[in-house]
Amino acid sequence: MSRVYNWQIGREMSYPYEAKFPQRQFAFVFNINRCIACQSCTMACKSTWTFSKGQEHMWWANVETKPYGGYPQFWDVKILELLEKANPDGQRWTGSVSDNPKSLYGQFAGQTIFEAAEKFLEPQSARVVGYLPTDEEWNSPNIYEDNPAGKTGVRNRLHETGEQLPVHNTWFFYLARICNHCTYPGCLAACPRKAIYKRPEDGIVLLDQSQCRGYRKCVEACPYKKSMYRGNTRVSEKCIACYPRVEGTDPESEGQPMETRCMAACIGQLRMQGLVKLNPDGTWAEDRQHPLYYLVHVAKVALPLYPQLGTAPNGYYIPPRWVPREYLRQMFGPGVDRALERYNNSDRELLAVLQLFRRSNRIIFRYEIEEGPLIYEGSYRGKTVRIYNDTAIAFGKDGKELFRTKVEEPLHVRPAKHQNSI
Amino acid sequence: MPYDDPDPTDPNMLIGVEAPADEGSNLEMAYAFAEEFAAIGFSEKRLLSLFHQPFYAGAYRALQILGEEKIKTIIQETLRLWGNFRFVVRDAPEGFDVPLDSLRSTQKSEPHQEENEVDHESSL
Repeated sequence: MSRVYNWQIGREMSYPYEAKFPQRQFAFVFNINRCIACQSCTMACKSTWTFSKGQEHMWWANVETKPYGGYPQFWDVKILELLEKANPDGQRWTGSVSDNPKSLYGQFAGQTIFEAAEKFLEPQSARVVGYLPTDEEWNSPNIYEDNPAGKTGVRNRLHETGEQLPVHNTWFFYLARICNHCTYPGCLAACPRKAIYKRPEDGIVLLDQSQCRGYRKCVEACPYKKSMYRGNTRVSEKCIACYPRVEGTDPESEGQPMETRCMAACIGQLRMQGLVKLNPDGTWAEDRQHPLYYLVHVAKVALPLYPQLGTAPNGYYIPPRWVPREYLRQMFGPGVDRALERYNNSDRELLAVLQLFRRSNRIIFRYEIEEGPLIYEGSYRGKTVRIYNDTAIAFGKDGKELFRTKVEEPLHVRPAKHQNSI
Repeated sequence: MPYDDPDPTDPNMLIGVEAPADEGSNLEMAYAFAEEFAAIGFSEKRLLSLFHQPFYAGAYRALQILGEEKIKTIIQETLRLWGNFRFVVRDAPEGFDVPLDSLRSTQKSEPHQEENEVDHESSL
């Protein structure tokens, strides 16, 4: 195993290969506060990439209900359980959150999926702690998540008169997921055929099907379970980050990098995807006017999903405000409290950057803010709030303006006589 | 599992587990709902009726626990900040229209709507 630096866990860790970083890295930010689980992203992906025979169980993009749900079922519970068994009571964070870009969230003192494998797995060729989900766990995404199950023992029927349930003080949220195109992918580490590779130009993790022999080591190793086996071709498949769009080679993109299908389809406007610059050590290079750099490293409101697993995922989430903090800390690491404090008290720049989400399908490479007038000043939840009608301007790869949007966004209402004129 | 009955010995199966929420989660939820709907132009009356609607379980429970007075205060506070919306009525582009009479139902049962309010609940 090599020693590589993982800034998300604030320390060096073991990884089967030497660290190699792309020129730019495919990354995204999802604002979970906005997700309503409409599954538009899920269907956009499905109808583009996984609509064929043998791919029925594949949902490269999915939205699951937390804390109960998961696709495949219980994926996160199971991997956390395995690590807890490997390192009982040791899966903890130390240090404190800081502004140091090399250890933003402190240090993870426990074992990553690679380290736990090194210590506890036999034979030596086993490189990653993981498990193979059963067919049943793949088969029915979202089963029983938001739906009533009906009477016990009676199939395919709901209660005819409805049921009066006791009021529980419950909470939940929707977690949208795709492949995280990790900096240290578990799937890549585990593949005995070296069929999985990370592209040097954009860090997208691809699986070479001509090299794959269907051993399913990647399915077992990916902690996020985003590598999937296809029975009728006997090889595995995974999210390809809609790379023709990201490259700008998709006919629709007219040569300009375009966001993936799942991003573009998001009606809740919670997704933003980009290509971030990296330093030679894999940390994010300072790029102050890049919206993703701003959200992850300046405002620090967007956090990686289960950073303790050690793959350095490149999907970042603005955590939901109303969810118990302990659960969020487990899911997004110790940066949660700082992220929510900032998100709940958004400053002028954060409010403007949040407006950049989903105004265009083109990838934003830079933004600028034009200051506008003060439109509200008053007290909100015991704090003084000032809102300025600033204009956020987005620029594409070629440096040309993509769009501009204001904080006070007008709401367009289709007149009654045109309600159905689509 | 989808094709079999739930296995009660499986510790991962949902068999009525409570994952307790923080104190204050209901308050956070109430603010989150009020803010989201205030920002899309709901009036005070409509916001309050949303909290009274059992279909919106989260909002409804927040009202049950926090009480109507507290919810009203939250709504008013939220509307002062997020309710300052400019509505822009925009016509569909010419040439893309369809004859509306062909779509209109023969029954005339359109509910009364206040000016500038969009009805998101008609499909419920």
